Amino acid sequence: MADAKDILGLPKTHFPSTQEKRPKPPKESQRKPDGVSREVYALMGGLPPLMPTLDISQLKRKPPSDKEKISWQWLPFTSSARTDNLKLYHWVKIVNGVPPTGDYSFAKYNKSVDIVRYTDEEYEKYLTDPNWTKEETDQLFDLCEQFDLRFIVIADRFPTSRSTEELKSRYYAVSRALVIAKAPPSGDVSGHPLVKDPYNITHEVERKRQLSTVLSNPKQPERKDAEVLAEAKRVADLRISGKDAEEPELPANTESVAPDAVAVDCVSPSPIPQPPASTADSASTPASLRMLRVYLRTTLLEQMVQAASSSAGLRTIKRVDQTLQELGVLKPKVPTKAVCAEHIELRKEILTLLNLQKQVQYKEAEVSTFRDNPYSDTIPTPSPPKRSHRGGDQDRLFIRDSDGFSGERVGKREHKRKAPGRYPEAPPSPPHSKRARKMKASDG
Amino acid sequence: MYGGDEVSAIVLDLGSHTCKAGYAGEDAPKAVFPSVVGSIEQSGLDDAVGIEKESQSVSEAKNGIKTIDSDKAKTKRKLYVGSQALGYRRDYMEVLSPIKDGLVVDWDMVDNIWDHAFRQCLLIDPKEHPMLLAEPSSNPQQQRERTAELMFEKYNVPALFLAKNAVLTSFASGRATSLVVDCGGGSTTVAAVHDGYVLQKAVASSPIGGEFLTDCMKKCLESKGIVLKPRYSFKRKEIRPGEFQTVDLDFSNTTESYKLYCQRVIASDIKEAVCRAPDTAFDETAYANIPTTSYELPDGQTIEIGADRFKIPGILFNPSLIHTIPGMDKFDHSTPSRGLPQMVIESINKCDVDIRRELFSSILLAGGTASMQQMKERLEKDLMEEAPQAARVKVLASGNATERRFSVWIGGSILASLGSFQQMWFSKSEFEEHGASYIQRKCP
Repeated sequence: MADAKDILGLPKTHFPSTQEKRPKPPKESQRKPDGVSREVYALMGGLPPLMPTLDISQLKRKPPSDKEKISWQWLPFTSSARTDNLKLYHWVKIVNGVPPTGDYSFAKYNKSVDIVRYTDEEYEKYLTDPNWTKEETDQLFDLCEQFDLRFIVIADRFPTSRSTEELKSRYYAVSRALVIAKAPPSGDVSGHPLVKDPYNITHEVERKRQLSTVLSNPKQPERKDAEVLAEAKRVADLRISGKDAEEPELPANTESVAPDAVAVDCVSPSPIPQPPASTADSASTPASLRMLRVYLRTTLLEQMVQAASSSAGLRTIKRVDQTLQELGVLKPKVPTKAVCAEHIELRKEILTLLNLQKQVQYKEAEVSTFRDNPYSDTIPTPSPPKRSHRGGDQDRLFIRDSDGFSGERVGKREHKRKAPGRYPEAPPSPPHSKRARKMKASDG
Repeated sequence: MYGGDEVSAIVLDLGSHTCKAGYAGEDAPKAVFPSVVGSIEQSGLDDAVGIEKESQSVSEAKNGIKTIDSDKAKTKRKLYVGSQALGYRRDYMEVLSPIKDGLVVDWDMVDNIWDHAFRQCLLIDPKEHPMLLAEPSSNPQQQRERTAELMFEKYNVPALFLAKNAVLTSFASGRATSLVVDCGGGSTTVAAVHDGYVLQKAVASSPIGGEFLTDCMKKCLESKGIVLKPRYSFKRKEIRPGEFQTVDLDFSNTTESYKLYCQRVIASDIKEAVCRAPDTAFDETAYANIPTTSYELPDGQTIEIGADRFKIPGILFNPSLIHTIPGMDKFDHSTPSRGLPQMVIESINKCDVDIRRELFSSILLAGGTASMQQMKERLEKDLMEEAPQAARVKVLASGNATERRFSVWIGGSILASLGSFQQMWFSKSEFEEHGASYIQRKCP
């Protein structure tokens, strides 16, 4: 290590003068073995090895010769898989001078398919077929044997052009007939695979035809469909953004429509190319419309109607609808912006009218009860100024007054009002309230 | 190893561009040299006689007459085989190829090539080694018989086997069923292999091969005014250290074919160095501004190659690009110009429906031209567009460029060293007993 520092030219540690003297005695001890250079000795740790690693006496000795003598020779061989006696040469392991005996080790892999052959008489007796000549059948069987029943290759090499199914059908029919004919009279061949499952050529032909149609579907129509869908989406986007500019007061609605459409778009890629809806009153289903982000006023109208009439009860809404029907305007025929606004106004007014009618009924009932029972100490009904207005037809005044009615509520809204400060008088008497309840007046 | 048994067979693959030969069991051929020969008419007899003799031998070869009458023709010309012999310029030496359109036209040359491979390159005696030859996927019967005759009678090989290129490539990648796309020197062949046998009816071939692309490259460069100087035609002198001056040498007795051959060597080197398959169909305008690559020619001048880098490989995929190259008008338009992806689809559609899916998912690339960069990715992309949806397209190519070039040879090496293959050889005794036509049975 001191040497290393020397080589590197590093400054030695403090007390350089004493250090200079010190390396010299250790170097003396390290240089002890003569055959080994100083650096090599330092690599080993500066000490002689504890145990000898190699036995020198072993090195020059030959390995023990009590084992078998193995040598390799280039010898000829024959294979039982060959019909001639071709002699090829290969390296053979000779053990103790005795070459190995036996057949070529790879001859056992020479397997072939057992093909039933027929004689001429058998052909005449069982196997004649109008579509096949004897020569063709013979050729077929030769090829089957040569190619081990690889029918696709056989069909490729067959001299006359016959389809694979025809060849298979002929081969299996012949083999089946032969098996049945050659069966011993007592034996039962119905278990033989050839007899049990005959080759069904029509089924095979049909199957192949279907497979070929599946495999010949080119990618062009698919791509065109995808392109058309992309176009449709783009155009619908533009329309939606145009409608957004028109209707700023219902941003919530469009926002609900837009993320809906996005979600639906991502989830369901529709395979049907849909042409973008050109007019707002197209007859497509709402789901598909939502996908194309079409802004349909009728749905909007429904929502607005619902918003406006949420204050009324179900029965009131039904009555409103009934009135509309009597008037002949249940739904606007042409739902443009102005028409829809007017329609909603109309609904509101009808609602008000109905409420007022209810109020009138209620008041008349009270009046009649008071007439019947003048000595009851029920709190008198509201002041005359209201009566003067009662018969009025001015809808606007009524609207204002209906909002100011005390105790007589117009809508369920006032049910829930906790602060009774708005009511100028106390709630009506129980018998009246009972009747009023029938007409859905509040109890305060 | 486990299924292997070395019988020291020789694998020989005579392609249209290079000849590969070597021992079976190795992973690369030892002898690789161009499969063209240089021939010099020996005695200065009038050319008419020489040509007549040559054409006579050619026509004899075509008729399949069993006269290996080489003596008559051989004395008239001396053949030089091998890259060393061809590299040395000789007066009046013509460069000829024995193979035209995938078929052998000059058996004498083939004989010389084999002789060179055995005796000069591999240093073996063919009498001792069984031979495995690779042949084109659609080799006519007559050519096979002629090969067998030449091998058995001239070289006295003990055993022979002829295997189809596509089958060997398929075995090299460990598959029994695949679609092999062989982009070789002389042609591009697409063949379907099923269970180890080529389906002859599904073989598609196109004359556009590596050599054709080299010619296109040469014409492109010439049209830009770049002259490729063959290596023998100049000498570089060092005037000052680091600076060279080119001096033109004049060898007026050099034949045109030799000059063309040398220029082709340079052009093919350029093609291999800079060409890349374009990612999409080649478009003149799109690639007009592509940055150029520089290449230094042997004579010192540096050239810039821009869009041609992509155009040349693009010809494989779109043969109509040939018309845009000036000077390639003499291209034969008789074959319908279909690109590589179309050939693949055509070949698969001619096969039985049941195996089409499997063929689509194992498409193998082989051959020297297939080692071009991005070839595999481009082919895969094109096929995915054209193929039916139901089929999964997968193009396989070994990453190693050497393996792609020699995949046929490697398949032969694997096949000939299998233990269970040793029963399949076509032996000399069988040849003597049954004749050359028996090869059809033995080597299906």
